[in-house]
Amino acid sequence: MSMGVHEIEDAALLFVFGYNGADSHPIVARRIVRAKQKGAKIICCDPRRIETARIADMHLQLKGGTNLLLVNALANVIIEEGLCDDDFIEKHSTGFEEFKEVIKKYTPEGVAERTEISAGEIRKAARMYAQSGRSMILYGMGVCQFGQAVDVVKGLANLAIMTGNFGRPAVGIGPVRGQNNVQGACDMGALPNVYPGYQSVTVPAIREKFEKAWGVKLSDQPGITLTNVPHHVLHEPDPKKRIHAYYIMGEDPAQSDPDLAEVRESLEKCDFVILQDIYMNKTGQYADVILPATGWCEHDAVYSCCDRGFQKARKLIEPTGDVKRDWEIIGLISKAMGRPMEYTNTVQIWNEVIDLCPGFMGATDEKLEKNACIQWPCRSKEEHDMGTVFLHKDGKFAHPDGKAKFAPSEWRPPQELENEEYPLSFSTVREVGHYSVRTMSGNCRTLRNLEDEPGWIQMNPEDCGELGLRHGELVKVRSKRGYCITRCLPTERVKKGATYMTYQWWIGACNELTIGNLDPISKTPEYKYCACRVEKIEDQAWAEKHVREEYEEIRANMGIQTKGGRAA
Amino acid sequence: MPSEFGLFVSTDIAKCSGCKACEMACFQSHNIKRNNVGKTVGTISVPVTPKLYVTVIETASMPVQCKHCENSPCKAVCQQKAISRVGSQIIVDEAKCIGCKDCLMACPFGAIALLPFYVGGRQAPQADSSGGKVAASKCDLCYEDPEGPACVRVCPNEALRLTDVNEERKKKNIAAAEALAVINAGDPGRRALS
Repeated sequence: MSMGVHEIEDAALLFVFGYNGADSHPIVARRIVRAKQKGAKIICCDPRRIETARIADMHLQLKGGTNLLLVNALANVIIEEGLCDDDFIEKHSTGFEEFKEVIKKYTPEGVAERTEISAGEIRKAARMYAQSGRSMILYGMGVCQFGQAVDVVKGLANLAIMTGNFGRPAVGIGPVRGQNNVQGACDMGALPNVYPGYQSVTVPAIREKFEKAWGVKLSDQPGITLTNVPHHVLHEPDPKKRIHAYYIMGEDPAQSDPDLAEVRESLEKCDFVILQDIYMNKTGQYADVILPATGWCEHDAVYSCCDRGFQKARKLIEPTGDVKRDWEIIGLISKAMGRPMEYTNTVQIWNEVIDLCPGFMGATDEKLEKNACIQWPCRSKEEHDMGTVFLHKDGKFAHPDGKAKFAPSEWRPPQELENEEYPLSFSTVREVGHYSVRTMSGNCRTLRNLEDEPGWIQMNPEDCGELGLRHGELVKVRSKRGYCITRCLPTERVKKGATYMTYQWWIGACNELTIGNLDPISKTPEYKYCACRVEKIEDQAWAEKHVREEYEEIRANMGIQTKGGRAA
Repeated sequence: MPSEFGLFVSTDIAKCSGCKACEMACFQSHNIKRNNVGKTVGTISVPVTPKLYVTVIETASMPVQCKHCENSPCKAVCQQKAISRVGSQIIVDEAKCIGCKDCLMACPFGAIALLPFYVGGRQAPQADSSGGKVAASKCDLCYEDPEGPACVRVCPNEALRLTDVNEERKKKNIAAAEALAVINAGDPGRRALS
């Protein structure tokens, strides 16, 4: 995020795009509620009537898959009606003329039909955003989990640049990240193209720095993204380039990746699979080796919040059982492979991280200890450098010329649209009771009792009526790639023709349906759009029994103890 | 001084985000003594049974719970005398309840549910010991807890409020008087709306 999370409540206008705070991050959602209490205007862009939509001044209930059309049309209005911050554009940006050229044809009238939002509403929203004085954009997976994702992120950034909503308190754009500590994983270089601190693997000077520090030879080629693994296991003709071993840490691709049938095939065909996690999960069933690790309260750590804030997480209890801390496991494996990695505590590791990453250099352990949170960039170890609450102060951007670059893009529709055989659109979403693939929250009895297998499919009551489906009834949801069984949840909050499921259920595993269409840059899959159909199950007694048995079988496969055949 | 009328919990729907923290807290606070439930994972061995229900409709998200009605239909229909007024709260004595469901039918808010009745970590037996007992369960405003309703305390958005209708009326009267005092002044020249 270009701003700090705490700044959300001080914005004059919140433009919340494809981000359902109340379900994904209830604690961040508090800031949205408080902003409203403090008088902020809220525009919510979401195909569902989510909680934010309920308290918003405007709800743009767009048709899924039309994000860029709407974003470009907003830019079009801002240009046409002379609402740009010309001074900011002039001094702090490049490429505005080319941008204008592309945006010209995205008139509100031209996109109204596809986006299902009237031209009048688009104009009103654009005026509100451009004129509030302090407009902040928050976006979530409703932007990122499309085959066209990066372009929309850039489109939102364009809006902020052209209206001068960067580099001041309580403005900017904020991706409110999808997973716990995903910011930290990226900060620490768990990306195929960068070392820790976003330092490119292809720059020789950087590579040499890390080679020297670690005493090893490093590759100058970017690696493979998670979502490309199935391809490199199953379809790579050259055995030398094929993936033979797959080391998975704190991730459950057999639950969370799109097109699960393909994921399972690749896990089965991969020669060697290692899983390192705190509990058994679906991927564990395919692992050759399982390395049990400690949970968050059993080890010290540094955690990155979505607003670039490093925070220390401290051990609360001694680990029990046959487990080790993640960094110990990595150290032992490294040692066994011939490169000793002998740390005795996390502070040593942290010191190494900040010494190798100029952007994190100043976030010393002492400062983290004293100040609870330090937001990078923090470049100096001196006491005065307390990090950076918001980026781009005084209109200084990260490009070599110090200017922001307008990045126009043309809209592309999602890959798989509704059709005769699969007449409904399908999107994955979150719910408040469970987190991610619920490796953690599924083991919490309180949460499991609130919502449990096989989950729900949210549908418009009219669609339910046409299919003769009632609340709570088990249904089969099918796409080209597979099917799953779940319960029907009729709700007015969903548009006719659209359906939504949460992705954490083992039985109602909606990623059986999703499509592996990746954004060309981020390689994030199109979890938010594919075509499906919902089928009524006549024999409900059979279906209920089937769900129970299937659940028991998965638990048995995972070695989870059961009491007299019932879930423990 | 507390109101002669029953208090109840009301929700500011502009603040409620449907997070269900109230449901969790409700279950937890009612089962500390009875079922030895603690504040952490791993201390719960009984079904999770809150006494309020976060309800999501198109225009609102809010917990629905007992209004502690003055002319309580649930109390009126209970032939077992299991529902009574204690102070200003309407309370169910789960030990007396036979699970006839009359109160569920009578309650216009759906604030009562029939739930497994657990004591000491075990489901209480039915009268003839043939199985586990279920009993009517509803909000009791945490009347045994000096700190008041757990749901109100735990709400991260401070959306819930223990409401006393008499206090509420007095506050509104004062606000109205303050507004009216200006425009009702005898001298038209002193009217604020000039």
